[in-house]
Amino acid sequence: MAPSLIRNFSIVAHIDHGKSTLADRLLSLTGTMDAKKAVDQVLDSMDLERERGITIKAHTVRLLYRARDGQEYTLNLIDTPGHVDFSYEVSRALAACEGAVLIVDAAQGIEAQTLANFYLASDANLAIIPVINKIDLPAADVEGTRAQITETLELDGSEALAISAKHGTGVPEVLEAIVARIPPPKGDLDAPLKALVFDSFYDSYQGVVVYVRLTDGRVRPGTRVLLMSNGRSYDVQQVGVFSPDMRPVEELSAGQVGYLTASIKRVADAKVGETITETARPTAVAFPGYRDAKPMVFAGLYSIEDTDYEALRDALEKLRLNDPAFTYEPETSLALGYGFRCGFLGMLHMEIVQERLEREFDLSLIVTAPSVQFKILTTAGEVLDIDNPSKLPTPDRIEQMDEPYVKSSILVPTEFMTAIYKLAQEKRGEHRSLEYHGKRVHIRFDFPLSEIVVDFYDRLKSISKGYASFDYELSEFRPSDLVKLDILLNGDPVDALSSIVHRDKAYERGKALVEKLRAVIPRQLFEVAIQAAIGSRVIARETVKAMGKNVTAKCYGGDITRKRKLLEKQKEGKKRMKQVGKVEVPQEAFLAVLKT
Amino acid sequence: MYVHVPFCAKRCGYCSFNTAPLEDGSMVRYLEAVQREIDLLGALPWASRIRLGTIFLGGGTPSLMEAEELAAVLDRIRARFDVVADAEITVECNPESVTRAKLEGYRASGVNRLSLGVQSLDDAILPRLGRLHDARGARAAFEAARDAGCANLSIDLMYGLPGLDLDGWTRAVDRVLGWRPDHLSAYGLTLDAGSLWGAAGIDGLPAEQDQIDQYWHLARAAAAHGLEHYEISNYARPGFRSRHNQIYWHAAEYLAAGPGACGFVGRVRYSNVKATPRYCQVLADGALPVASAEELSPRQRLAERLLLGLRTADGVPTTWLETRLDGDRGLRQRIEAWRAEALLVDVADRVRLTEAGFLLSDALFVELL
Repeated sequence: MAPSLIRNFSIVAHIDHGKSTLADRLLSLTGTMDAKKAVDQVLDSMDLERERGITIKAHTVRLLYRARDGQEYTLNLIDTPGHVDFSYEVSRALAACEGAVLIVDAAQGIEAQTLANFYLASDANLAIIPVINKIDLPAADVEGTRAQITETLELDGSEALAISAKHGTGVPEVLEAIVARIPPPKGDLDAPLKALVFDSFYDSYQGVVVYVRLTDGRVRPGTRVLLMSNGRSYDVQQVGVFSPDMRPVEELSAGQVGYLTASIKRVADAKVGETITETARPTAVAFPGYRDAKPMVFAGLYSIEDTDYEALRDALEKLRLNDPAFTYEPETSLALGYGFRCGFLGMLHMEIVQERLEREFDLSLIVTAPSVQFKILTTAGEVLDIDNPSKLPTPDRIEQMDEPYVKSSILVPTEFMTAIYKLAQEKRGEHRSLEYHGKRVHIRFDFPLSEIVVDFYDRLKSISKGYASFDYELSEFRPSDLVKLDILLNGDPVDALSSIVHRDKAYERGKALVEKLRAVIPRQLFEVAIQAAIGSRVIARETVKAMGKNVTAKCYGGDITRKRKLLEKQKEGKKRMKQVGKVEVPQEAFLAVLKT
Repeated sequence: MYVHVPFCAKRCGYCSFNTAPLEDGSMVRYLEAVQREIDLLGALPWASRIRLGTIFLGGGTPSLMEAEELAAVLDRIRARFDVVADAEITVECNPESVTRAKLEGYRASGVNRLSLGVQSLDDAILPRLGRLHDARGARAAFEAARDAGCANLSIDLMYGLPGLDLDGWTRAVDRVLGWRPDHLSAYGLTLDAGSLWGAAGIDGLPAEQDQIDQYWHLARAAAAHGLEHYEISNYARPGFRSRHNQIYWHAAEYLAAGPGACGFVGRVRYSNVKATPRYCQVLADGALPVASAEELSPRQRLAERLLLGLRTADGVPTTWLETRLDGDRGLRQRIEAWRAEALLVDVADRVRLTEAGFLLSDALFVELL
């Protein structure tokens, strides 16, 4: 296939701006598959993605399009994950493209992820086609959005295509623009194979299916290939394209997008960003920008039933086959017993893993308070990476503590500015810059990662009536005055409830935390004292009074079944309780730690 | 056998039972239906093997029935079933709907136990409950029952009521105990979803601690008057426990008739069609009005035996509890906490809740399911 007839592109957008709808339209216009089937099968192939309306895994599909110039083009649509937790995956998917369709909602305008995606696409030197979607909405402001595109993105807003993906209006022009404005892939068919891994999944029959974009050379079944980051070689078994189901072909060549299988056992062995070349004739330089997806948030995972430990381990192993971005290692908690310390890209990623474990493996889990990773310089001169508060050395052994910071970007209508600054101050944000874009402001803050990891996004949305949008990237570690805040139940410290917090906020946090715990810990047969302490100093205390009265007054012939069913329902609720010493602690208590 | 008589002159705010307004002709249709139901039950293949030890007419307000109407129902039961000679036959009565003459008529038809729905002796509280009697009427009804020859007389009271403080409760308890009833049922107010108050809410509820104080006052006063606290909400002079209600707490079998009535036969708990007109219609069409039935698993049967039996002062055989705890170390530990707090005690080869344990019993029952 002549590279001049190939276009590799992505669609990027802020969440809910209509990415899936446009992709769906492109598929049906090119006859790739009917719309309904497309939505059901391709764009949201994981249940969780469909339920949450978020793309988690990249998806890829090949469209055959006869353009108005009479030629048939191969358009490879590389869909990208749509959440800030997965920005590395987005950057790799974009690296596999020459162009991007950037969607802006005509009613919402440019938002933080529009900007973030624009910068990613721009950094990858992609040709960008701005598209203004949802022009059918009564609130659509096409001209205002054009102006924003010109002003904020420094693209030519007048060239933006105005469409309604929902009704199909203007969508054929998008296809034409992809052909006309996105350059065909360059590349040397005769040079050594050089292919970028931009996604993969585990298939129990074929092993890992690797999504590749070839920039140079060719690959076919039998080619012995080398994975440059880990130095392993494999014999390619099958190569193919997505149309949209996997369809084997004889060969993939420079410029093309497709998949290969090579009996690779684990997704971790062919990670996103990896360079694949020929073992016999390797390419000189790997793709830049490869990195191990680094977990940013850590939490302990424990099964509520002690007997489920083995089942949890097996489940984690299976999940990791398909998701190398999450890490796990065994840990022991005095309060919770045997479990695993797991690392995640972010809170969404953590919730997804938790939901999958509970749903697909039928486990009932306790997730401890998420923590970021701190760097501790000990008095002995060692540097420790601490992602579990209970592993923190005692204060006398600590020389310095550093915590991770992020650079963040918030886009919000001016009327909410005051609220945003207040929130930022509460979250130890450091103001960096402020730019006005018409009725909106673009504010940059540096935040400690620990402050934004849990509920920041929800808070931001709620104080701005949903208008604020948010994006961040990890920047550096900075020294910080941190202390370990312990929680004691009836005098016994509960390691799984400890957290590392800034000293200035410890008192307030301790107070809020014990209040929250008092609200979520149910009354028991005996009184439960909840204390927050720094070292041996108790800084806050609340009491859960002993249960006073919990009785059904009448239980006669007609009440028995109803009563049993009511109790059965209560028992379901109790299943989410973990016995810590003598005290029964509900699952929410462990998450309460950072949500207060 | 339990017979449900759904009619009420007025529905009370706290009530979540299956009731129906008493309209022209509805009692006649009901009586026809319930007698037909008794016929159909009596014609079942296993009916001939059944001996009825108790009959309980509950409501609703069964005392809205005239003596002849009640006699017709009881006659029909005796015609279709083997009723033991000394069967306990109870009728629930509201004070305003009884007279000495009516109760004499009940007695003549075989009724030997009355349960009088007094609920409160506070004339400010009674109308708020939706009751149609006052304290004087309650006393008069009690006298009428005694005069009519009722030698097994029970009184229903409620505590934890809106506007009821410990003093008011103490006065009511003392007065009622002074009447020397043979049996006393006292229910802490529960706001069920099916009641008016449960749905709309109600102001003036006493604090939890006040409700607990009211419970303990009654427990002590009843003991001082020689009544044994034989079930969470029930007290009796020796020999006057409700035989019928003990059938429920022993998880024994009982038949049911009437709209919404529930029965337990073999391993099956079943309930009748609730709406009275529909109930009557199904029977007019010649069918038994069973709306739902559930066969209990062995695990559920054990759970029911435990959580019904532990409602009583006799408790359950320790072996039943041991069967449930077998292999569940966590549960065993939690049950030990109940013993350690003296909420659960062992008496010979049985285990029972203490009066303090009664107050927390649902927390134990959840565990035992």
